[in-house]
Amino acid sequence: MAELPPTTSVRRWLVTTNHKDIGILYTITALFFLLFGGVLALLIRVQLWDPANQVLSGLAYNEAVTAHGLIMVFWFLSPFAFGFANYFVPLQIGADDLAFPRLNALSYWMYLFSGVLLGISFFQGGTLDAGWTMYAPLNVPMYTPSIGSTGAVLALFMFVVGVTASTVNFLTSIHHSRAEGMGLMDMPMFTWSILATVWMMLFAFAALLAVGLILASDRVLGSVYFSATEGGSLLWGHLFWFFGHPEVYIVFFPALGVMLELFQTFSGRRLVGRKWVIISICLISVQSFLVWMHHMFLTTINLEIKTLMMATTIGISLPFDLLVFALIYTLIKGRIQFTTPFLFAFGALLLFILGGITGVFLGAIVLDYEFRGTYWVVAHFHYVMFGGATALFGGAYYWFPKMTGKMYDEFLGKVHFVVFFISFNMVYFSMFLAWETPRRVFEYNPAFTSIHQVGTVGAFILGLSFFIMFYNFAKSYVSGPDAGENPWDYSRTAEWAVSSPPPLENWPNRPSYASGKLEFVKDYVPDGGPAVKADEDGNAVTDGGDHHPDHIRKYPYWDKHASHASIWPFLLSAALGVLLLGLSGFNPATEFHFGSSLADFSIDIMNPIYPVLTVVGLLALIWTGWKWGMEDFYAPPSEFAERWPFEGVEKVKLGMWFFLASDVMVFGAFISAAVFIRWNAGWGTWTPIPDQLPGLINTVVLLTSSFTVILALVASHRKSRKGLLAALGATTVLGTTFLAVKAWEWWTKIYVDGVFLSTAAEPYSAVQASVYFVTTGLHAVHVIGGLLIAVFLLYRTYHGAYMEDERPVEFFGLYWHFVDIVWVFLFPLFYLF
Amino acid sequence: MITSLTLQQGADWDAQADVFNEIFFVFLALGTAIGIIVVAYTLWNAYKYRDADGNGTPDEDFDPPVVGELPTGQGGPKAKKLFLSFGLSAIVVISLVVYAYGLLLYVEEGPDAGSQIEMEGDEDNLEVLVDGFQFGWDYTYANGHTETNEMIVPADTRIDIAVTSSDVWHNFGASELRFKADSIPGETAYTWFSVSSDELEQTEDGERAEFMVECFELCGSGHSQMDGTITVMPQDEFEEWYDDTESDDEGVEEWEDAFGEGGE
Repeated sequence: MAELPPTTSVRRWLVTTNHKDIGILYTITALFFLLFGGVLALLIRVQLWDPANQVLSGLAYNEAVTAHGLIMVFWFLSPFAFGFANYFVPLQIGADDLAFPRLNALSYWMYLFSGVLLGISFFQGGTLDAGWTMYAPLNVPMYTPSIGSTGAVLALFMFVVGVTASTVNFLTSIHHSRAEGMGLMDMPMFTWSILATVWMMLFAFAALLAVGLILASDRVLGSVYFSATEGGSLLWGHLFWFFGHPEVYIVFFPALGVMLELFQTFSGRRLVGRKWVIISICLISVQSFLVWMHHMFLTTINLEIKTLMMATTIGISLPFDLLVFALIYTLIKGRIQFTTPFLFAFGALLLFILGGITGVFLGAIVLDYEFRGTYWVVAHFHYVMFGGATALFGGAYYWFPKMTGKMYDEFLGKVHFVVFFISFNMVYFSMFLAWETPRRVFEYNPAFTSIHQVGTVGAFILGLSFFIMFYNFAKSYVSGPDAGENPWDYSRTAEWAVSSPPPLENWPNRPSYASGKLEFVKDYVPDGGPAVKADEDGNAVTDGGDHHPDHIRKYPYWDKHASHASIWPFLLSAALGVLLLGLSGFNPATEFHFGSSLADFSIDIMNPIYPVLTVVGLLALIWTGWKWGMEDFYAPPSEFAERWPFEGVEKVKLGMWFFLASDVMVFGAFISAAVFIRWNAGWGTWTPIPDQLPGLINTVVLLTSSFTVILALVASHRKSRKGLLAALGATTVLGTTFLAVKAWEWWTKIYVDGVFLSTAAEPYSAVQASVYFVTTGLHAVHVIGGLLIAVFLLYRTYHGAYMEDERPVEFFGLYWHFVDIVWVFLFPLFYLF
Repeated sequence: MITSLTLQQGADWDAQADVFNEIFFVFLALGTAIGIIVVAYTLWNAYKYRDADGNGTPDEDFDPPVVGELPTGQGGPKAKKLFLSFGLSAIVVISLVVYAYGLLLYVEEGPDAGSQIEMEGDEDNLEVLVDGFQFGWDYTYANGHTETNEMIVPADTRIDIAVTSSDVWHNFGASELRFKADSIPGETAYTWFSVSSDELEQTEDGERAEFMVECFELCGSGHSQMDGTITVMPQDEFEEWYDDTESDDEGVEEWEDAFGEGGE
């Protein structure tokens, strides 16, 4: 299925893996979620109209508040920005597509289906009502018992899985596929902002994935992390905000990137202090991980740490000052064209200045004590995050001609801006005036009634202003004038050098910046060899030698055709969606009786729907995963590319390293959680739950399997099919042995010692049992995943694969070693001390 | 000595409200001034360098970028200006925070305690344990007596509160008194407040002042209605009321968990 149907066919949009198609899908889906979250916002504003009269119950209001926050932060802001990132990052760096097109489609479908799950959760007895920050222990079933609450948590989990795939994809693309001559410092600012964003996402979203997994475990399996008084609430606070603060910049940076592009394009000036702007962006990305406790100034954290966090917080505001001044000074001596995109970018800067200044207030701890939980915070983060998103709407107008080939209506665009800007300030500035109102409270002090009413009126105008944009885009798409290749006078980046919309493979010939500016060069491709650079007449340049790195020379790609279509991303995501839908109601629908021995074990099923969905989803997931692996899908690496600092690393291996880095963070968060809970419970009061001997045996078994994986790679390298079968087989047997010992250990704990998840016999506490089962369980899940891959590799080897190309065996080995190394950390933590 | 000091201290004390109001004013004044300057400067430049006639007459200075060029930044005088503005903003921000930090220490420590009121186990401050629940507040005093939703305290006394929760995460705060503390299960947060008798005199009956308590962290369906009251009365009246309350051993135990045996 390598051929792509035409854009008029529905099938095209289900199977496409092309970055431009997926960019459009992201953009449109994100705009849908803008409407969804917007309607919820209007419900909130209606409720606030009169503090004595309500349209929603307390619970329904909390659901609206929660879903509004979740949808706008997760399902609107980032995906909207990543619609543009999908479309324009490959174009700006001179690549044909992202590094892993099929994975990119998977990210999109995960995003879409996670949103569908969130929508369904409203009908599962009500969605989550714990706020988008989901503070513990309100987020556990004891306080939020609805199935929909679990559904929303699992929807978020699925979203994060998609984000992780997308992060790995963008990191690999930007570090592996830049056109010849485009160093990192030469990248356009939008691409720079996306690079910084995905680096932050790699680590921040891994923390969210971990905290989401723990929460899902609390909600679905019944572990007791977040209801534990041994620091359960604070654990949530730390893990959530360790993700949550970088998240602020994750949603803001793409908007900043758009501002940096648009200020240059519409003033005809180049960015002032470009190098320092890039340095500031990098600094902020690092600093963003060092400030999270400023969200927790009132939570019994001691003064020394609070002071440190105040200092780092102020520290992070300084690079932002530089960014703002750089934007302002770029305009000077320009020829500023007040087009719609520029107006939005310029408006975004003004809003961001206000958001930034009010943020400094929050950095001063004494003021923060008072602002905590009030509308000051709400107003501030709307000015920063939605103010930033204002620039993204500028981006939508800016790139609309490129994405559709048509020009939008300038007059309607300006009307949209004026209405938007005025109503934006009505809504959010009124929040500053009524700042003493507690957040998420609708029975507020009647003294603020008229201020809140101004906000409500503004909110409706703000909501309606977007219909001007939708109308403009729809009308222009149907009957707008042709935009041509480059409708802007002073644009610089490469997307404006190709037709609108660009062709499937983007470029007429290979783009290159080797001469210092963009040129399209024709390479000479000999039979049975990699392309070589050609002179003007198309003859091979022989004196230059072969400049290809090893990994390009070694593996045949020049005789293969790039694939652009696959149905498996769609089906695999759908399968995961069904599985998670099943899991959301699994706990209330079933009851497990462990009995006094394994023979007494029984399950009561009260409602078969959810268990059936779970099983069907799981089987479908394994099946689609298998088909994915078997599909012949080919995405060629860029032949000539700038890859600093990863020149020598093959594309998929680079992706694997990025993925493992994020998995290190996931386990890091789990281990930190275990340590944090134990510290709060009193370190010395815990003694290991499992016995040392089986743990030691398992350590030896797992380390041995690391050795057999290396033997597998050697066998593959020597093209020895039997050797490869034997080594992979040994690895599988060792992995299975590990799981068997583990199963025996758990069985002993449950039936002999009476320790299980939330019911621990003396001397263990329930939370200690949870920590033990969940952390080692996560590792066991990784082992099971590894075994599934090993079985897949065995099957393929049996049919003759991996004799020419040993890379899949090597990548599996990387993953397997990682899982073994994790065990080396878990063993002492749970078995020895 | 304590007695002689307390008589004047009431008026001299900075309640948290006074500290907050001072810092807030300084930040607001500076923030507004800087905001206006920066925004006005930006708008002025945007207007000054507008492309008035569409594509204007070319001048030698103007060197627009072209499609496909490798990006370069502008250096020269603009970059110098960039660092100058950056340095200035850094100085403003850092001095603001250093200034605010000095007052933070004051808020953390609280003013010198002092009151002639005789409390069980503690001579100076009144120590009250606040326990949040869905959806209200319990106030436990040193003798173990617990009040629900109404906190009764004397004027001219530093009230030390320890805040915890028996179910989910709440936040205990009184906007007018400008204090707040997280109410977290398994944790105890400490803060303080005080109300001078001057404020009592300004009320309608001239005897009691009431302040609204609200919950500042989403805690469930009743979050919006999770209000309470702090009632401040003259010290002698408070003593009278307190002497009438019944002590309770369980309450004493909880109180001592938060404040230690016999208070601080």
